[in-house]
Amino acid sequence: MICAGIDAGSRTTKIALMGDGDEVLLASAVGEPGACTATQAEELFEKTVAQHQVDRDRIGRVVATGYGRAALQMADTTVTEITCHARGVQFLEPRAATVVEIGGQDSKIILLDGNGGVRDFVMNDRCAAGTGRFLEMVAERLDVGAVGLGELAAGSQKPATINPTCAVFAETEIIGLLSAGAKPQDVAAGVQETVATRMATLAVGRAERPVVFAGGVALIPGMASALSRALACQVEVASAPQLTGAIGAALIACREA
Amino acid sequence: MERERTTAFSEACNAGEPAVAPDGKGDPFAWFASMLPNCLEYAKAAKAEGRPIVGITCEYTPRELIVAAGAVPVCLCGGSADTIPTAERDLPANLCPLVKSTYGYHAEKGNPLLEMADLLVVETTCDGKKKMYELMAESRPVHLLELPQKAEDDAAFEHWAGELRALVAVLAEKLGGSPSQDGIESAIRAMNRERSLRRDLAALMQSDAPPLTGRQLLDCRSIIAGVPVALEQYERTLDMLRAGEARGEMNSGVRVLMTGVPIVRGAERVVDIVEGAGGLVVCMENCTGVKPILDDVAEGTPDPMHAIAEKYFALPCSVMTPNERRQTTLRQLAEEYRPQCVIELIWQACLTYDVESFFIRRLAEEELGIPYLRIETDYSPSDSARIETRVQALFETVRGRSVAETRRG
Ligand code: SF4
Ligand code: SF4
Repeated sequence: MICAGIDAGSRTTKIALMGDGDEVLLASAVGEPGACTATQAEELFEKTVAQHQVDRDRIGRVVATGYGRAALQMADTTVTEITCHARGVQFLEPRAATVVEIGGQDSKIILLDGNGGVRDFVMNDRCAAGTGRFLEMVAERLDVGAVGLGELAAGSQKPATINPTCAVFAETEIIGLLSAGAKPQDVAAGVQETVATRMATLAVGRAERPVVFAGGVALIPGMASALSRALACQVEVASAPQLTGAIGAALIACREA
Repeated sequence: MERERTTAFSEACNAGEPAVAPDGKGDPFAWFASMLPNCLEYAKAAKAEGRPIVGITCEYTPRELIVAAGAVPVCLCGGSADTIPTAERDLPANLCPLVKSTYGYHAEKGNPLLEMADLLVVETTCDGKKKMYELMAESRPVHLLELPQKAEDDAAFEHWAGELRALVAVLAEKLGGSPSQDGIESAIRAMNRERSLRRDLAALMQSDAPPLTGRQLLDCRSIIAGVPVALEQYERTLDMLRAGEARGEMNSGVRVLMTGVPIVRGAERVVDIVEGAGGLVVCMENCTGVKPILDDVAEGTPDPMHAIAEKYFALPCSVMTPNERRQTTLRQLAEEYRPQCVIELIWQACLTYDVESFFIRRLAEEELGIPYLRIETDYSPSDSARIETRVQALFETVRGRSVAETRRG
């Protein structure tokens, strides 16, 4: 039998299909970024199944996770992204003790129990300061994409100081910095530092090594090193950082099947 | 304008249609669902008989002394987000929503019970409340009790006892009701009766399959202390629930011990999220839960004033320092209610509970060995989905652990 995980995130949908006997990843997909609807998520799922010539009848169980999980009609159950990322990261990186996950709308620190489960977690509150959305917002302002933001930041000698406590204040500050003639690369680097600092604050010194970085933001150049500096320990990027939630969901589907 | 002003309170009042006459026949849950209009009626009738109304906002306020003075103690804590914008005209935005909402009612003249009040009796608890009362005192009669905050200190206790003696004099002077020793003693017995009924109701949640939910229990409360009809309703609710339990009516879910800030009428959102996500709030340690009803005032002592001072001074609120007693209480409650996790609710900008959450997390995780989740929020629902995700993840962890334990066992 095949089990499926769908991570209906706030900015992208991720799909993972796994064989339930041997827990091997058979197929995966990451959707286009943008506001996601349940229909788009389900279309991507069908497309993935067709593209990888997966026998539709062999798909036994579907677990949905992520921001839009409740809206997916095709899912058998829903599981929170916290539990799914924990499961997915421990599958990909069995030695991991802590997951730092930065997604579109929210970010979390998950302490792992070593058995695929969660020991403890913290999540950002209402503020978008430590999220992918915030990075995207700044990237738009600087007229580069999220990846471009990382490339830009690499050229900075002197990252700008930006208040990490509030996304709205930070945006105002950034506008101020730019109009005062700050270099875009320093602003870009400053923003990365800000997001990393915000995560370190969330972790309040509880992140245990090895720390694995997951979520789409982990793909942005420079983010992992900014995070390593903020947490004062080497952070490893998960081997498929965007897929950890979907893989975790598929693994949970396998277990429940 | 007049209409607008009363919206928040009248909405709260209309939340439950009075399915029972104020004489309290019918479904007792229905009486509590209409508790606000019922209390308003009661207060109006009392006032018409010449009994003064005394507004209170905290569990340190000795209800007994107010009742013994012939007055009606009415809780005025605000649970509505709607009055907060008005409050923010005078108060900083970065203040606890409970303080802001209460003040908003004052500024909008939106709570008829507050408008009826002849006197407010308040305490120096947290800074937000304490300073807010100064603003209220500009236009209303406010008497402030100085609550010393060294919970274990004899001199501090003596000062508190002195404050209560002074309160008796103030009540006599301002409201004309000088309580006799006998009057105080009978108020003590009445309040003990109310506390013991509420304790019995709360204790139903100790069962493996309680006959009510945490939210239902939270609703079984009156904002006026010592209302005879309310006492009857507590009794009838207890009878009904015990009979229901005997018939096998029950609730289940991940057993949650809630702690932290009070959850007043209208601000129950987090409790609903927790129970909607598969939890069962078996105990609330806070001021709208069991905290104020665990201890009674000693009856029949030669010095009832001293007995009252003792009971109230022992309340384990985070404004006290140190506040060891709160942890002692939580240990005890954990034993009695067997929670599978602890959820602490902190109203945004409530510094004392926020700081104290350090100890509560440590107690839950290291001593009780159960997961702990801290939720900081205010009265606006914008973060409900996020809170729900965190609560669900907590329950997934709890269930994951119990599966692992069953396998190991
Ligand atoms: S939490 Fe403290 S300040 Fe608030 S009502 Fe209870 S005792 Fe009073
Ligand atoms: S919740 Fe905290 S800040 Fe708010 S009134 Fe109570 S003690 Fe004060």
